[in-house]
Amino acid sequence: MVDPVARLENAQLSLDGNAGRVDILRGISFEVARGETLGLIGPSGSGKSSLLMLLGGLERATGGAVRVLGQDLTPMGEDALARFRRQHMGVVFQSFHLIPTMTALENVATPMELAGAADAFERAEAELQAVGLADRVHHYPAQMSGGEQQRVALARAAAPRPEILLADEPTGNLDGTTGQAIMDLLFGLRDRHGATLILVTHAPELAQRCDRTIRLVDGQLETDTLASAAE
Amino acid sequence: MSFANAKRIARRELRGGLRGFRVFLACLALGVAAIAAVGSVRMSIQLGLEREGAVILGGDAEIELTYRFAEPQERAWMEGVSDRVSEIVDFRSMAVVTRGEETERGLTQVKGVDGAYPLYGAPVLEPELELAAALAGRDTYPGAVMDPVLIARLGLAVGETFRLGAQDFVLMAALEREPDSAGGGFGLGPRTIVALDALQGSGLLAPGTLFESAYRLALPEGADLGAMAARAEAELDGAGLRWRDARNGAPGVAQFVDRLGAFLVLVGLAGLAVGGVGVSAAVRAYLDQKTQVIATLKTLGAETRTIFLAYGLQIGALTLAGIAIGLVLGAVAPLALAPIIQERLPVPAVFALHPRALAEAALYGALAAAVFTLWPLARTENVRAAALYRDGAGGRVPLPRWPYLLVTAALVGALVLAAAYLSGLARLTIWSAAGMAVAFIALIGIAALTRAAARRLARTRLARGRSALRMALGSVGGPGSEAGAVVLSLGLGLTVLATVGQIDANFRSAIARDLPDVAPSFFVVDIQNAQIDAFLERVEADPEVTRVQTAPMLRGVITRINDRPAAEVAGDHWVIQGDRGITYSAAPPEGAVVTAGRWWDADYDGPPQVSFADEEAAEMGLALGDSLTINVLGRDITAEVTSFRDVDFSNAGIGFILSMNPGALAGAPHTHIATLYGEEAADARLLRELGNAYPNITLIRVRDAIARVTEVLQGIAAATTYGALATLLTGFVVLIGAAAAGERARTYEAAILKTLGASRATVLANFALRSAIFGLAAGLVAIAAGAAAGWGVMTFVMETDYAFEPGSALAIVTGGALTSLVAGLAFAWRPLAARPARVLRASE
Ligand SMILES: Nc1ncnc2c1ncn2[C@@H]1O[C@H](COP(=O)(O)OP(=O)(O)OP(=O)(O)O)[C@@H](O)[C@H]1O
Ligand SMILES: [Mg+2]
Repeated sequence: MVDPVARLENAQLSLDGNAGRVDILRGISFEVARGETLGLIGPSGSGKSSLLMLLGGLERATGGAVRVLGQDLTPMGEDALARFRRQHMGVVFQSFHLIPTMTALENVATPMELAGAADAFERAEAELQAVGLADRVHHYPAQMSGGEQQRVALARAAAPRPEILLADEPTGNLDGTTGQAIMDLLFGLRDRHGATLILVTHAPELAQRCDRTIRLVDGQLETDTLASAAE
Repeated sequence: MSFANAKRIARRELRGGLRGFRVFLACLALGVAAIAAVGSVRMSIQLGLEREGAVILGGDAEIELTYRFAEPQERAWMEGVSDRVSEIVDFRSMAVVTRGEETERGLTQVKGVDGAYPLYGAPVLEPELELAAALAGRDTYPGAVMDPVLIARLGLAVGETFRLGAQDFVLMAALEREPDSAGGGFGLGPRTIVALDALQGSGLLAPGTLFESAYRLALPEGADLGAMAARAEAELDGAGLRWRDARNGAPGVAQFVDRLGAFLVLVGLAGLAVGGVGVSAAVRAYLDQKTQVIATLKTLGAETRTIFLAYGLQIGALTLAGIAIGLVLGAVAPLALAPIIQERLPVPAVFALHPRALAEAALYGALAAAVFTLWPLARTENVRAAALYRDGAGGRVPLPRWPYLLVTAALVGALVLAAAYLSGLARLTIWSAAGMAVAFIALIGIAALTRAAARRLARTRLARGRSALRMALGSVGGPGSEAGAVVLSLGLGLTVLATVGQIDANFRSAIARDLPDVAPSFFVVDIQNAQIDAFLERVEADPEVTRVQTAPMLRGVITRINDRPAAEVAGDHWVIQGDRGITYSAAPPEGAVVTAGRWWDADYDGPPQVSFADEEAAEMGLALGDSLTINVLGRDITAEVTSFRDVDFSNAGIGFILSMNPGALAGAPHTHIATLYGEEAADARLLRELGNAYPNITLIRVRDAIARVTEVLQGIAAATTYGALATLLTGFVVLIGAAAAGERARTYEAAILKTLGASRATVLANFALRSAIFGLAAGLVAIAAGAAAGWGVMTFVMETDYAFEPGSALAIVTGGALTSLVAGLAFAWRPLAARPARVLRASE
């Protein structure tokens, strides 16, 4: 069997909040195969976003191991993680997280520029065209609608052609139609470039489009369902 | 009722603590403290001058004469109006100590006193001794007391003898403190006091020598000094006679204190302006952070007025707190530092709580807080409920509505007027306010230019691929840019610092610059007519004297211009204050350039003519053909101004404002002055030889004179440095505040950039470049504005020359930019080191 893209071994996450220690993820283990589309579902507060953050190296596990592309992320430094992300990962958030002081084009070009790509801006422009924003390249985030902003965020995540795409409820802040369009884009990107997609969602119909869904409840893995099995 | 609601909202919001208001409180408190402290020190000095006026002056009133003693009828008048009269005489001389072959000489300012001296106060002698007993002397020698500095220089010990002119004195004690020392201004040499009687045999008070006599009057209790001054003017023939009284005991010191006071007022106002920028930025940051709360309140039905009031009340409460802290600091600091300040002052100051100074500071603080907070407060009106659903970063911020603009303008006007009126320095205050306004506008302009330039540069090929640079340029030029706020606060702070730095550095280098290498080694005065030829022959033959200049010299007072009192024509110009040196010569002096009119013919023998220094003539409004009446030794000479000439006073050579044709001064007793040029190595020998050959002449070593003047200027320079430090502290807080205000935005940006794969170094470089761009923009304005303001203050307030000091300017601007950079990076460091998840979550 080929190496898994990601592998969690008893991953734990506890945070010291004001009200004392909170165990957010309480020992999670699973593997994600290359090219797979994995849906993370579960009730609010169950730890889906936290799990995605662990996979993206945006949060440090407090126990167990998080391996992505064969590397254990937990002991890695911030700079090593940053380099790792720009080589292998794209992240899309529910609230877009575009840099407010940069135009759409600059936002999209930034990760490629950071990776030293000479043609960062050309590729960024092409990518924006691909998501249908050719006439918005020089707009700032505040000058765009939520759907447009999320399309920029998608372009930004996909333009460097990452092996892994992480998306945390990318349509949560958008209306149904716009959300649908964004989802089509996201799946289209996955299909075209063959990336592994890990998607947090509340929407059952989205979960159904995934190859596999993992359901979290209260920080623990409750079910792990293959789509084919569900049909 | 909206007020009750507002009060409730304000109370709840303040429950959250003062965290966001530390910068606000610090800036306001420091600004108020600076003004309160400055005002207190000023009042302490004024009160000291008033209380000690009579002691400083040496009497309730003083009549000073030049070159002569009082005539019997003048003396009789003085005794008639006063309880006691004391006569003193003051002149420069050389103290000479001979030990076998060795001769030591030192320039000294001699004071000959009568038995009634001092009318007020008492000198402090070491060993402890009555002055009368000390001056009585020992054996056949009359006694003297001397400044310890001079005693040390001459290598004298108590009980040994020295010579003044042709008279030997025995040193009886060191003069630790002279009660009336400040009254005479700053003499050129350290003090020696002897009995007036003992000088009769010294030959130092011969006609034609330079001495001043003064008569101190002890007036009956409750005497009206103003009326007495008028009587003296009317009843004594004012031949070169000057009246001073305890209302203004030490004019030299008063002027020193005035200038110092003016400078301190400037520093205080500047500090308040810098603090105000910090206050404004803090309020803005606080309200920006409250956008969501305000939008929510509006959604819930709060009216604009209620919201404005709610936040106005919070700011008002904090303003009161800030002012209170500032007043306590400003009242306590001068008291705590009293010993240090006193040591630097030439007069005794009365340190106490000065309610007036504190009240003024509170008024300035309240007005400034209102000016600087109204604008950001008015912006709460522009927060729409929709802000909840849209990111607030974009879009132009509209100006507040006109009533706010009007009130702000009125408050600024009130602040400037209050400062102008209360400081008593209206012109200075208004000029500084205008200067600050210009700097303000220049900074806003530069900030806009910087944004536009950055926006452009970010799009060029140059920036592509250099992510840190492009990101920095993009953020400077993009929406929500900090450019305006940072450039303004950094720029104003640096401008004030650069100005103070320019003044400070100019003071320090003024003397060194004004006296170039061509300065003479010696300035020789009191050469008698009978001695001048032999003297010249001797020094011209001396191989180590490279150059000699001489001129005859008299002293006179310009009393009338075109037959009107001089003060009516020329105001309080220094040339008509007191007596001036006058010379005469048939031909224009060597190197002189006649700039207008014509020098008299060599054999001219008509009515008196005078040639006047052109720069001073222009300042006094003199024209060719004007007539000047000059009182020389009690005789009025009226001369026509027939030429102007360029006189260079900067190289310490011989330079006279007034030069007359020889015939005009024929017969008036006079002496000669000379300047000798040569190497420093020859100084000691010349001093010894010339002093031995001509015991009556005074040789002033220019290098010593420079040292003494430098000492006085260093007192002022120290004050400017303290002022600079106070502003520096406020500026520092403002910079930290500005850095802290941007922390949230930077933290967020850093988290996203890291998510996209940026290393910490790249993110830091991005932030550092931004600071550098802001620092550069602010620094350019600061250097230009600081130079202009420094020039203005040096020229019009301190009345000396100005030269741009690049070292100070660069140091301040780089230092300021670096501080803001380091502060900015320090605030960015913590979030940079942590994983980005939490930051990103917080802004979900
Ligand atoms: N900084 C923190 N300190 C303490 N507890 C936290 C912190 N961040 C998140 N939590 C808690 O961790 C739990 C999981 O949060 P997480 O955001 O991962 O849930 P989620 O499944 O994504 O929920 P949702 O569907 O609402 O987005 C929640 O109970 C949340 O309250
Ligand atoms: Mg979530």
